[in-house]
Amino acid sequence: MSLEPKEDYDREDWMRERDLTTVESMYLTVLMWFDKRLRLVDYLELLEDMYYKINLQMPKSHTEQYNLDNKFWYWYPLYALGSFSTLAYIVAAISGALLGFYYSPAAAAANGQPTVAYESITFIMTDLNFGFFLRSLHRWSAQVMTAAVFLHMLRVYFTGAYKEPRELNWIIGIILISLTMVFGYSGYLLPWDQLAFWAGTIGVNMALSIPLIGEWTAQLLFGGFTLSQATLQRMYILHVFFLPFIVTTVIAIHIGIVWMQGIAEPH
Amino acid sequence: MPGNDSTDDVRTDGGGGIVPPDDETPTWSERKERSQGLARLTYEYFERARREDQDLRQESSYVERDVLGFPAWPHEMIRNLALTSFFVGMIILLAATLPPHIAPPANSGSTPLIILPDWYLYWSFGLLKLGPLNPELSLLGGQKLLADQTYGVLANLVIVGMIAVVPFLNKGSARRPVEQPFWAAVGMSGVVFAVTIAALSVKNLVPMDAHLLFDLTFLLPFVGATMTYAILKAMREGYMFDLNRRYYRLRPPK
Repeated sequence: MSLEPKEDYDREDWMRERDLTTVESMYLTVLMWFDKRLRLVDYLELLEDMYYKINLQMPKSHTEQYNLDNKFWYWYPLYALGSFSTLAYIVAAISGALLGFYYSPAAAAANGQPTVAYESITFIMTDLNFGFFLRSLHRWSAQVMTAAVFLHMLRVYFTGAYKEPRELNWIIGIILISLTMVFGYSGYLLPWDQLAFWAGTIGVNMALSIPLIGEWTAQLLFGGFTLSQATLQRMYILHVFFLPFIVTTVIAIHIGIVWMQGIAEPH
Repeated sequence: MPGNDSTDDVRTDGGGGIVPPDDETPTWSERKERSQGLARLTYEYFERARREDQDLRQESSYVERDVLGFPAWPHEMIRNLALTSFFVGMIILLAATLPPHIAPPANSGSTPLIILPDWYLYWSFGLLKLGPLNPELSLLGGQKLLADQTYGVLANLVIVGMIAVVPFLNKGSARRPVEQPFWAAVGMSGVVFAVTIAALSVKNLVPMDAHLLFDLTFLLPFVGATMTYAILKAMREGYMFDLNRRYYRLRPPK
């Protein structure tokens, strides 16, 4: 009996007799290494499914099946608005992460002197290589996302795509469009220039005039009844921490439901 | 350890490793059947639903065929990549040609002449200016029940709520606007209202009397809705005429 304990299933011998190529044997080694630790075999079905999905044929769409392309071709760009807004969201996320390297939400005074937040925006726009373009890209992708989301809602309304099995997704869409606007609003406040300050003032007054929970809302979202450092800090955390997680999750659910239910095509 | 004094080491992991399932061990389906309460209810419902599906499939004469479509890889992926690059390129082009500027630093001492949120909030900002619609109740001695601004903020909730209930009011399989001129008209009035309320919020955008602008804000949506309704009705009559013409050609009226 050897001191070296032999492997239970003698996989090495099995691999040797298979006469595998280098790529294959490396792949198998890695697979076995992970399988020993993570029991991948339990998830094999999922993996196989993913493997075969690559060779999947997209089912014929309703319009292809019934030869309606000649009637409906002009609808097609409108059917891309949802994915267009998702794309713009991804572009905004990447450019926003890059901007986040240089922006600091600090020293939000309102005495007409440039603050740290304002200075970091001017730094990005004047000194940073490609900074001017980066901010422009972030802003435009946000604008495009919002516009695409609005038009997407109109498309869904006028093609009756919100109907019976899809009510839930319509409601989720309303939540998403609201969150998108909150995203835009909180981002609008971050440069802490005149526009941001007075838009923020309107926001505080709107929050304060909600019946019953107005003061509580103003405290929660704006950190007080007038604009201050707390407002900027809260808008920043909302914009770069809470909303990205929430909106990404809700978008995933929204798209997942579309995947499960299929696209509602006109007929 | 009695009867096993040849070894000193003591097993601390419970011994024996994982016990393989024997006849006594319940299978997963048995476990599901034995469960109680909500889990049991869920199991029963899904079993029932599965059986219903099976029955429907056996009853129907529909033959499932392989649908010949576009392969996901590489055709669909290449198409998606092309469309994605095009859209991202459009955003980059916009960003490069129309960069944003930055206003002077925040100053609570000087109110700018124009205070506006970003364009997508104009509608909400416009709803804050609905003061003239806020009724003065004679019961309260000509007082308003809600402050004008509270009224405006609540109007936002009303609008969102109205959009949210649409799928619960309008059901059925109709997809094209011509099929349901009424709902298309409702949608068009919403679109027109979004534009007019935005124009109202900017105020100086449209060079006209403020009162006239306010009235038009609520009038134009009705005009838009009526026009949409009329046009779609006419289009539907046209479709019906075509259908009838073919029908009469087939079976001429006596």
